[in-house]
Amino acid sequence: MPAVELTGVTKTFGEVVAVNDLSLTVPEGSVFGFIGPNGSGKTTTIRMIVNIFYPDRGSVRVLGSEINPSLTRWIGYLPEERGLYRKMKVRALLEFFGELRGGHNVSREVGEWLERLDLAHCADRRIDTLSKGMSQRVQFIAAVVPEPKLLILDEPFTGLDPVSADSLREAILGLRRKGTTVILSTHDMTVAETMCDHICMIFRGRKVLDGTLESIQGEYGTDTIRVSLSGGPALLEGLPGVEKVRDLGQVQELRMSAGSDPQLVLRALVERTRVTSFAVSKPSLHDIFVRIAGPGAETLAEEVASE
Amino acid sequence: MNSSLRKTLLMAKRDYIESVRTKAFLIGLVVAPLLFGGGGIGIAILKKKPDLRDKRIAVLDRTALVAPGLVAAAEAKNARDAYEKITHKQIAARYVLEPAALASGEPDAQRLVLSDRVRKGELFGFIEIFPEALHPGNAANSEAAEKDPKPRVAYYTNAGGIDETRSWLRAPLNRAVTGVLLREFHVDASHAEDLLTPVSIDPLSLLVRDAETGRVEPAKKKDEIAEMATPFALVMLLTMIVMIGTAPMLSAVTEDKNQRIFEMLMGVASPMELMAARVLAALARSLTSSAFYIVSAVMVLQGMAMIGALPLPLLPWFFVYLIADVTMLSAFAAALGAACSSPQDAQNLAVLLVMPIVVPLLIMMPVMTSPNGAMATIMSLIPPFTPVLMLLRQAMPVGIPAWQPWVGLVGIVLWTAGGTWVAARVFRVGILMQGQPPKLAEIIRWAWAG
Repeated sequence: MPAVELTGVTKTFGEVVAVNDLSLTVPEGSVFGFIGPNGSGKTTTIRMIVNIFYPDRGSVRVLGSEINPSLTRWIGYLPEERGLYRKMKVRALLEFFGELRGGHNVSREVGEWLERLDLAHCADRRIDTLSKGMSQRVQFIAAVVPEPKLLILDEPFTGLDPVSADSLREAILGLRRKGTTVILSTHDMTVAETMCDHICMIFRGRKVLDGTLESIQGEYGTDTIRVSLSGGPALLEGLPGVEKVRDLGQVQELRMSAGSDPQLVLRALVERTRVTSFAVSKPSLHDIFVRIAGPGAETLAEEVASE
Repeated sequence: MNSSLRKTLLMAKRDYIESVRTKAFLIGLVVAPLLFGGGGIGIAILKKKPDLRDKRIAVLDRTALVAPGLVAAAEAKNARDAYEKITHKQIAARYVLEPAALASGEPDAQRLVLSDRVRKGELFGFIEIFPEALHPGNAANSEAAEKDPKPRVAYYTNAGGIDETRSWLRAPLNRAVTGVLLREFHVDASHAEDLLTPVSIDPLSLLVRDAETGRVEPAKKKDEIAEMATPFALVMLLTMIVMIGTAPMLSAVTEDKNQRIFEMLMGVASPMELMAARVLAALARSLTSSAFYIVSAVMVLQGMAMIGALPLPLLPWFFVYLIADVTMLSAFAAALGAACSSPQDAQNLAVLLVMPIVVPLLIMMPVMTSPNGAMATIMSLIPPFTPVLMLLRQAMPVGIPAWQPWVGLVGIVLWTAGGTWVAARVFRVGILMQGQPPKLAEIIRWAWAG
């Protein structure tokens, strides 16, 4: 049984079509990456999954049932726009949110999560005295107490230092190991690549990618060369079969045109300078994202719309 | 317990506890009565500090007959009212009427001289009594006189609109004029007092038969001010508690919206549950304030042995109106708050919220003067104004037809239910809107389309 199943879902606001005939399936127990540029309809889709918005057309099934208020008990939700009662104390706030969703006293679980995310010492502090990272971890706890069957996290790592981000990542993966399905909306392609079992990209209200990282990359073939060399990116101009060069600093990423031969590129480079590394690979998720949503996306959007 | 009800009560409990624990609520509880009652207390204090300066008024008597009676009346009033009986301490201004000799030449020249004296503060004013004061004649009723009436007595002053002196002058002047006329008609002076003493009407309560003794209880003299005090106090109390309960709602919802709390809550609860919780918290806040004030009033009245002044039969209606008014206004405030994007927007829209509170206060006096008049009846049956105006009319001693409060109640229930439903639709859409505040037309569209 899929944890979430959207079928032909459309949502409009006045003249604006925020989500257009979207169908997707979130496998149970997976970490499902939900990516897309700003304004593409991710938040609207998430709000329909958590029953904040109702679709104009199509159906939203969550945990095997049509979405309804009783299901929210099993859905943990961390919205992108964070908000907490600033004058409440941390423990009281978490117990309030936990009891509101779960319907029972959650003080034990709150205590455990505070320990786990290194916030026990802040339990009696007011929210408005916490740092941004601390508030974010508190809000994460509010989403996972009591333990949800479906956890929806919208940009959970924004603003976190590496230590806090690691503890949060560990917590998310821990929940997944215990069977919780996680929908992770993110702009961080590295997070999507490393954490997600399944990735879906939405662009201008329509689904443009859907599958595992491997299957998505497979669609684009091995058309990418990552190279590092002495002399910098200026030496990469005019290489045979290279469509686009992306300078990443220490490494440059070359996108090959269809049917071109990487060996010719390597030979040309060696003639120009000293090559310290050269790898032919599949495109990164970042690259795929930019190909879809970057400059020139108009054409693709039209193609998608006409399909 | 039903899950929806459980969530609503839990959120209402949180909102209630958080709001009554604030200093603003506790201070408001004490300060509000001072603000509402402050005007009355201030007037009472100022009345005890009257202006004791003589009110010197020149009398230009063109009849040469009326002035002596007027002067005598002023002296009698001074003797009667200006001094405290035992200590002889002055407690009110004295009226000093000085007859002025008529100057030859243009009358306006003398009027100007007297006006200048008024401006200099030497006189409070001056009065000019024309011969027509005694004998208006048939010409007074002519068409020409109607178009351009000639004054019979003119009173010149630069005092403000409500001038006590002018009010006082009317009776002694009429008495002096009538006295002169009686003498002209050769009426025996011993009868003059009988003829001139006005007949007063004493307001008395209705008679009742004592149920135990069977005796007819004598009528009691009514204190008209005291009879007005109870309705006035009840309505002020209702208004004050409604404001304490609902006023924080608008800014609180806007603040929570700005702090992005609602999206987190809406992942768990529906907009209707969120709004119902807010309204319940406002109701609980209002009931807390009313309990505080009513218990305080009972204790004070008991201490003053005036517990009978408490209008016990009206208390159930008081609470019905309170609940209806708070529900209606707090739902309205929640919707407006959800439509606002900043506290400034909320302030701008607050004027819409206070209309149902302010309008009844503006028409209180006419309603009290004629509680069963057409205006009072119709206005009190308009649902937003029913709580205050119907309670006011019910508290008036004359009473109102028994069916009217019930019709008013039906109106309020329908209005409150409809208003809350519309407010919930606006709340649901507005709560997640950010950026530019919506125009009124857009809010109406949200209410229509949901």
